[in-house]
Amino acid sequence: MATIVCSHVDKAYGAVNVIKDFNLDVADQEFIVFLGPSGCGKSTLLRMIAGLEDISGGDVIIGGKTVNDLPPRDRGVAMVFQNYALYPHMTIYDNIAFGLKRMKISSPEIDTRIRAVSSTLGLDPYLDRKPNALSGGQQQRVAIARAMIKTPRVFLFDEPLSNLDAKLRNHMRVEIARLHQKLKTTTVYVTHDQLEAMTLADRIVLMKDGGIEQVGTPAEIYERPRTLFVAGFIGTPNMNFIDAMVKANGDGWLLCVEGASFAVSGRRFSLSDGQKIVLGIRPADLEAAAAGSTEINCVTGKADLVEFHGNDALVTFLFADKEIGALVKAGGCPKPGDDVRFVVNEGRMHLFDRQTGLTLLA
Amino acid sequence: MKQKNTLPVVFLSPAIAILAVLALVPTVYAVIISFQNRELSRPDGSFIGLANYISLFSDRRFINAIGVSLTWEAVTVGMTLIIAIGLGILLFECASPRMRSAVCFLFLIPVILPRVSAAFVWKFAFHPLYGIITYPYKAITGQPLDLLSNPLTALGTVALVDVWQWGLFFAVIVLKLLETLPPQPFEAARLDHAKTWEIYAYVAIPMLKAPLISLAFVKMIESLRAFDLIYVMTRGGPGIATETLDMYAFSQGFIESGRISYASSMAVLMMVATSLAFTFLWKRVKS
Repeated sequence: MATIVCSHVDKAYGAVNVIKDFNLDVADQEFIVFLGPSGCGKSTLLRMIAGLEDISGGDVIIGGKTVNDLPPRDRGVAMVFQNYALYPHMTIYDNIAFGLKRMKISSPEIDTRIRAVSSTLGLDPYLDRKPNALSGGQQQRVAIARAMIKTPRVFLFDEPLSNLDAKLRNHMRVEIARLHQKLKTTTVYVTHDQLEAMTLADRIVLMKDGGIEQVGTPAEIYERPRTLFVAGFIGTPNMNFIDAMVKANGDGWLLCVEGASFAVSGRRFSLSDGQKIVLGIRPADLEAAAAGSTEINCVTGKADLVEFHGNDALVTFLFADKEIGALVKAGGCPKPGDDVRFVVNEGRMHLFDRQTGLTLLA
Repeated sequence: MKQKNTLPVVFLSPAIAILAVLALVPTVYAVIISFQNRELSRPDGSFIGLANYISLFSDRRFINAIGVSLTWEAVTVGMTLIIAIGLGILLFECASPRMRSAVCFLFLIPVILPRVSAAFVWKFAFHPLYGIITYPYKAITGQPLDLLSNPLTALGTVALVDVWQWGLFFAVIVLKLLETLPPQPFEAARLDHAKTWEIYAYVAIPMLKAPLISLAFVKMIESLRAFDLIYVMTRGGPGIATETLDMYAFSQGFIESGRISYASSMAVLMMVATSLAFTFLWKRVKS
């Protein structure tokens, strides 16, 4: 059990800075997820915590001790790799035992510990097999067992589920969540899959181009995205964005878009007259307007595409020259070519400054 | 249809005919004369059955040659692999990519050199009076150092040249093999409390087991053909200290007594023994 502190961490390959002044405190027992598009530096950062990459600047502190110059084996961390990284020539038993043998632990104790771990992860029938005789999911469980058995202070996961098929991925995600609930080991988990991030994380660190875009609980990040990038990255289907101009309107404000305008009180936001903004609305927050209703603040259009998602359907239509998606109940949803009309609720609006991309939430 | 079947035969038959003449005829002929008592000095000879084979086993020089051959085989194959793996790992661990290519180029030079030239160069380098290698010893002690005339060191010295040629070449191969391995198991091992030597001993080398065994086989066959090296450097001497089986067969057949039938029986025996040994080893490794 340990805290992790990254303080002003930099990473440069030659002249290219891939991580810039990264600061983060991870609490003991916390499950942190690094989320971001590929190439944002999240895996590099994880490998720096593990000691597999040198740190160009700043400090990484695990359990109160600066580990910058410690070799990986002395950092008390265990890592699960995307492609499992099992030792192909060893049996599963030897794979799991490898680290303990290197730590000079007696073989009876190794045996007891392996039996315990393998029964937890359901690996008992496979202990005598070689890794290539196992399926991807089983191999990943072996990798987790190998990490677990050392009782590390910190677990590091580097996109552990990316190589698995969708069904297995769900299953393993639940297993990892259960494991963390049981072991409570501080965990850093890297993924580009927002579903994994949202379901597993205590806190998500959303990264872009080697820097932090936002740190927060999954709910915070979903409800109050700090930047346009976060808003666009989190949530499926993606948030709709409409360019708008702010105009003073008596007590409140008018958000003018091409061919329409939305009247808002603007109390939640800090707006100014003539400001250019981006209005963001999640597809699920668009409510179908009742027929013949006199609602203002509506987006209207001709349904262009209707995608069936099971319970819901995603209706796509053109509004103010932008493609807008609205998530509606699948039952009785509009057909392509129908006129559609959705109410935009001010409470569900996200407003961003068009120049800076930052949220305008007060 | 018929043309399709005959065309390969047309192309293959000249090559096979040449091969048959060059390889098969001498082999068969050697087997035949090994049952005779022919000598180079006499044109005739008669069949004497297995007499040559029987007298081989009471020939102390033949028994010695078996011992020398086995020692030669073990020393050159063992040392080559140890040097190759050691240097390969050292390069993989310490050298930058640029340095690696430069060193690889240098390491390839000895094996490109014709063996006889290499043997002459090294023979001169080991010369007790003028050799560059023995010079420091002579300068310090005032005594000449003659490694090739000492029965205890002669075989080892010749083996050194063989290992110099093949160990460096194999080191390049081992380095390239290491470069093809995926890096993740190494990283996993580093996190698994393995020290650097343990990563190689327990992860990298076992992952390369199959290609390394193939390399060992190549070297075993290559070591059997070390006649030229030994012939130039020691001619089997001092005494019979470096006389391998092929050296002994050669000197029995062509140098000392011209006992061509006796030499042939030795060659046949060697052929049978190596075929059996390699078949056995190959089967064992494969299973």
